[in-house]
Amino acid sequence: MSSASTDLGEATFSRIYDAPRELVFACMTEPEQLTHFWGPVGISTPIQNITVDLRIGGVFETIMVNDADGAEYPSRGVYTEIEPPHTLAWIEPDIGMTTRSTFLDLGDGRTEVRIVQTNVPSVFRTSEAQAGMASSFDRFAAHLSTLTA
Amino acid sequence: MADERPNEPALDATFAALADGTRRQILARLAQGEATVNELAAPFAISLPAISKHLKVLERAGLISRTRDGQFRPCRLEADRLDLATAWIEQNRRIWSERFDKLAAHLHDLKSTPTSKGRLR
Repeated sequence: MSSASTDLGEATFSRIYDAPRELVFACMTEPEQLTHFWGPVGISTPIQNITVDLRIGGVFETIMVNDADGAEYPSRGVYTEIEPPHTLAWIEPDIGMTTRSTFLDLGDGRTEVRIVQTNVPSVFRTSEAQAGMASSFDRFAAHLSTLTA
Repeated sequence: MADERPNEPALDATFAALADGTRRQILARLAQGEATVNELAAPFAISLPAISKHLKVLERAGLISRTRDGQFRPCRLEADRLDLATAWIEQNRRIWSERFDKLAAHLHDLKSTPTSKGRLR
């Protein structure tokens, strides 16, 4: 159902969803959808902390909040490619990392999302990476499995 | 963890150093213990100066260190630096994995109760 591979400087993540492509694309571009899943485990992204200006050069800003201590992890991207419902890309100018998502209609109601990131090493210094570090994966692993069952 | 100390090389340099197969093999050898340049060069069909060049890159990237004195200046793996470099890979992978998991759950919710999570435009 999902796969991930990381080459040096580039990371690829893919997942197949049992949902139509338009819906999955909408989830990645609408604050009222993003708020439900954008933060990793233990991290929330309140809807008022999400800015989506869906046009080339428009901003994609999020401030994730650590559920445990309220620490905030801001992130700022600028859209570079918007082709609903199959391609979405942005760059984070502060660190130079690009994130390009493609949405593939599998023809049976399912959609494969493939995300390719470049200039990944710098991500280590971003607050988003800190957010990932802060999430206590082990504690929530059991909970996750129930969500995805 | 995320804040680099000023005297540490940029992580980008570390990754550039890791991007070469020969250098990764050198690190794998050093993971078993210290070794001299001659010992490190033995498995490779390349010249000593070429190996030295690789070692300089690894040293600048903070991945290995060499003792300042002694004729053979054995090389030593700086495991902390290697851990640091691999840590973000795992973090980044984890963030997207968890994000994807949550998206799957959200899509499931949307399908079962289409209006409870906000209307789609």
